Amino acid sequence: MSLEQLIKKCIKQDAKAQSQLYKQYASKLFSLCLKYCSNYAEAEDVLHDAFITVFSKIDQYKNKGSFEGWLKRIAINTALQRYRDDVGVYDIINEGNIEDVSVDLNDDELSLDFLLGIIQELPNRYRLVFNLYVLDGYSHVEISELINISTGTSKSNLARARLILKEKIESYKASLNSQSL
Amino acid sequence: MSEKKNIDRLFQEKFKDFEVAPNDAIWNRINESLPNNEKKKRRVIPIWWQIAGVAASVVLLLNIGFSFFNSEENSSDTPVIVNTETENNSDTKKNENSTLDASNDRTKSSEELNNTSLVESDIHQNNEDKNTDSNDALTNTSSQPFNNSTKTLGLLTEDNSTNQTSKTLKSSVNELINGESTPKNTVAASDNTQSTEKTKNDLSSNEFINSELKKAIENNSSTVTEITNKGDNIKENSTIINEQKEVSTIEKEKESIESAIAENNNDDIIEKEKDDEPNRWSITPNVAPVYFASLGEGSPIHNQFNTNSKGSDINMSYGITGSYAISDRIKVRAGVNRVNLNYTTSGVYAFSGSDIIVASSDNASQSSQSQGNITLREGANVALMSSKVMNRASAPEVFNTKLTGDLDQRFGFIEIPLEIEYKLLDKKFGLNVVGGFSTFFLNENEIFADIDGTSTLIGEANNINNTSFSANFGLGLNYNVTKKWNINLEPQFKYQINTFNNTFGNFRPFFIGLYTGIIYKF
Repeated sequence: MSLEQLIKKCIKQDAKAQSQLYKQYASKLFSLCLKYCSNYAEAEDVLHDAFITVFSKIDQYKNKGSFEGWLKRIAINTALQRYRDDVGVYDIINEGNIEDVSVDLNDDELSLDFLLGIIQELPNRYRLVFNLYVLDGYSHVEISELINISTGTSKSNLARARLILKEKIESYKASLNSQSL
Repeated sequence: MSEKKNIDRLFQEKFKDFEVAPNDAIWNRINESLPNNEKKKRRVIPIWWQIAGVAASVVLLLNIGFSFFNSEENSSDTPVIVNTETENNSDTKKNENSTLDASNDRTKSSEELNNTSLVESDIHQNNEDKNTDSNDALTNTSSQPFNNSTKTLGLLTEDNSTNQTSKTLKSSVNELINGESTPKNTVAASDNTQSTEKTKNDLSSNEFINSELKKAIENNSSTVTEITNKGDNIKENSTIINEQKEVSTIEKEKESIESAIAENNNDDIIEKEKDDEPNRWSITPNVAPVYFASLGEGSPIHNQFNTNSKGSDINMSYGITGSYAISDRIKVRAGVNRVNLNYTTSGVYAFSGSDIIVASSDNASQSSQSQGNITLREGANVALMSSKVMNRASAPEVFNTKLTGDLDQRFGFIEIPLEIEYKLLDKKFGLNVVGGFSTFFLNENEIFADIDGTSTLIGEANNINNTSFSANFGLGLNYNVTKKWNINLEPQFKYQINTFNNTFGNFRPFFIGLYTGIIYKF
């Protein structure tokens, strides 16, 4: 069954097609949810809500752009809705610090689980901005519109997120080194 | 290996192919919160099926009833079946003839005489096979005449020149037997006459055959005709077989339809896949001549009119119906109709003005109730009396000069039908059964009486409910003009349930209508 047929049937609320669509995209969207959420349980919730939205609004998908992209946008939006209103105290840091945030690392040392873990541990808005900008290629302008912050805040949040991640990676490596010593 | 790496690149690379399958429980949660999920559908459908089943059985009973009354039509139906048979036959005949030609060609070449003798032995084998195959009664009976025919043909083999023809005959017989033995070609037996004729023709045209042979054939024409006769018998047998086959194929078709219906219930997804038609909605403006009557003898007005002859004009109903196909075969529909009905009671004396005093003085007890369920119009002073009730001899003189007239009751409703339509046949011509009910809102209520020869409005009935119901049954015929436009003809029977409050005698009203409409699907 082609994707087009599948979408058509999903529009008709065909249960089998819905199940198939879910199977086809659940993993991709769930990984997205894991990155945008602070823990596994919340990622599950977001995935659930995202698919409900997908199935209720699938008739609005007009075959413009990739379907996967459309699904991802819905998942991201669902996640953003959850954390957008989160009021936290965020440091505004000098933009000059943004550049050259790099770490010494051995690729093999850092597991995906660890990296996911430190993303999830980020304060909500930092995590969102970091994901949007670094992993999903949104610009600061787009981000500022999406989560209702200024582009300056977006940039500073991103820089802060990078710093936190860098610190965590370095301390992790230090602990690894101390263990191995 | 250690390198300095931008943190963005690190995450981008690491998460490039990041995929995690979520827990299955998530899907269950999603599925439960989806609207229109499959479970709900399945719960709904069986109810419709039950209703549709009832409707279908009603139609079946009606069909049986009609077939009783129209037995002549049935007899005229049977030739149609025969026609289809002969069509089938002609198809197989063609095949047979071609194989026959082939066998004739074979026998023409002297080299292959051995082959034909092999065929001959085949015949015997076949015959033996058949004789041993005692289970199949039909093949037994049919194989016997074949044995005979091969024997008579055997007599011909004395002559060398006739040898060939006998073999051709035999081979043709062989064809027949083969045809018999393979159940698929049972029709082949009916070919016997044709094949023998054909061999005759072939013989006459055959260069190899001399006059001796012709004589021999003429001498043996009696045996040939015998064969033809036998062939005819076999033909009859085979037609019987054909009929049986047809019956069985019809039964098979029925079974397949039934199984299709059953499947339809189970995996309606597949069904949906098949029909890509999104035209679930349709709208039908319709008009119908309607006729009102009662099942029992009675009167809605007064018990004195119970035995009077009554009737109705053909009135019109017009309206519009919208329907929604909930599955391939089932539609639910609702609509609005305006329906006018009337009911005429004849043989009624109507008195007004001065006459009424005379009438009421004589039949005081009766005239006090003579209006029955009629609320008289303001200013109208009318008494009604049935000609059947009155004793003419003792009646006052005024009655002798009076003429009986009609009492015409007219009532109109706004009808809201709510019906289910089940498709029995979905081809160019569609057939469906309809069942449901209607709600009626009274919007017209008048009673006219013939007073001195002129029809005069005297009042209205006070026993017609403002809201009433009917049970509806119908049989719909559709003709698909295009995919979107259909023509619809639908006789409907509507049994009125509580139209009248207080009736006399066994008054059970209903009306029938022949609903004609144009269906537009969208």
